[in-house]
Amino acid sequence: MGEAIVITSGKGGVGKTTTTANLGTGLALYGQKKVVMVDADIGLRNLDVVMGLENRIVYDLVDVANGVCRLKQALIKDKRFENLYLMPAAQTKDKTAITPEQMKKLCDDLKKDFDYILIDCPAGIERGFKNAIAGADMAIIVTTPEVSAVRDADRIVGLLEASGFEEPKLVINRIRPDMVKRGDMMDIDDMIDILAIELLGVVPEDEKIVVSTNRGEPAVADETSKAGKAYRNMVARLQGQDVPLMPMENIEPSFMDKLRMFFGLKARTR
Amino acid sequence: MTNEPVIIKGTKEGVTIVVEENSNFEDVKKIIYEKLQNSRNFFTGAKVSLKAKNGFLKKEDYTKLQEILSDFGMSLQEAKSPKTLIFPKPNRSRVLLLKRTVRSGQKISYKGTVVILGDANPGSEIVATGDILVMGTLRGMAHAGAAGDTSAIVAAFRLQPTQLRIADVISRPPEDKEQSPLFPEIARLKDNMIVIEPYNSLK
Repeated sequence: MGEAIVITSGKGGVGKTTTTANLGTGLALYGQKKVVMVDADIGLRNLDVVMGLENRIVYDLVDVANGVCRLKQALIKDKRFENLYLMPAAQTKDKTAITPEQMKKLCDDLKKDFDYILIDCPAGIERGFKNAIAGADMAIIVTTPEVSAVRDADRIVGLLEASGFEEPKLVINRIRPDMVKRGDMMDIDDMIDILAIELLGVVPEDEKIVVSTNRGEPAVADETSKAGKAYRNMVARLQGQDVPLMPMENIEPSFMDKLRMFFGLKARTR
Repeated sequence: MTNEPVIIKGTKEGVTIVVEENSNFEDVKKIIYEKLQNSRNFFTGAKVSLKAKNGFLKKEDYTKLQEILSDFGMSLQEAKSPKTLIFPKPNRSRVLLLKRTVRSGQKISYKGTVVILGDANPGSEIVATGDILVMGTLRGMAHAGAAGDTSAIVAAFRLQPTQLRIADVISRPPEDKEQSPLFPEIARLKDNMIVIEPYNSLK
């Protein structure tokens, strides 16, 4: 039996789809796991575009839920990465086209064949969100270092806790170490202090993400990308490995850190 | 420790009489009387302070002791308040204890006192007819004395609310506040204004 993980955020545009694409590809590529990514954003599907698989869609999630086709017919196999599949959303319908119960059944069916089911949740807290979390066992919350995104993430954690999710994990996306250092951006500790959930990883702002998204090639496979490295670390952590947060460039050790190092203590890793 | 209901001690400030918890007052009276009788004149002129282990003595008992002591030529001093820091005791009978973080979009409404063992995050609302105590960081909105009780208080380990309301008075933190203090604070109504003080006394 596989594990279904929903990737959610509340706020839009913080990187749910990018995170789903990269973690999914990473788990298949480096973890040698059988992975399916489910796009739950019916009516505003993006995951297929980010993965570069748009032109191969024949059937979608709604067709499977309504019995128009069999589950396997809607799954798109990614030819570049072995073990990686996509379940696309419908673009011509809306969130009410499926129910949470149908979504749960779909996830249960997928769990029989796959190790990981990554569900890309739409923004918001309404029907689309309820559909997306219905079949999930675990949640990953994506936020950016902005007050509004953290506020929405906090709301989502509250809703997830009310739905019985015990330990959601946090991904902090698009952090800019230089701005954090100047005090112009919330730092990681501020966000963890408010959200009080376990940190899965921190992704630095990286131009390569824009390029890879437009080309439909996940950055996780790009060895030269900083963001890609962050995603690879997260893939390892998801599989139970203990990987320290990677040091971000432009962050020099502070005086206290230097002092700690001088006395042979571990400097705080960022 | 002895099980004697009364201990008489000499201290810097004079003589202290300590009354043990749950002791019968008649016994206490008798013992004090006997002890003073045995050491006739020794205590004459001494200033005496009285300490009761259970925190308080009944007013009539206090007066009776005062009489006995003055018979022996001793004067009773007003008891000093203890210096120990105690979080205010909720004075309303109903108390809601929450052991979790109250998150954005969550609203706690309660007839009585609300105690939160955790944080109240921005975007959360806590409304209580009694007091609100947050044993963590209060970052959201808190409304104490929501039914009109002007004696209600809001206390937090770190008081950084978006907005504070007590009874029908609404206030928000000053805009120029650079850094919140790193100590517990308490908010209460004084002259129809919400005032915030460091929480370090029971005054």
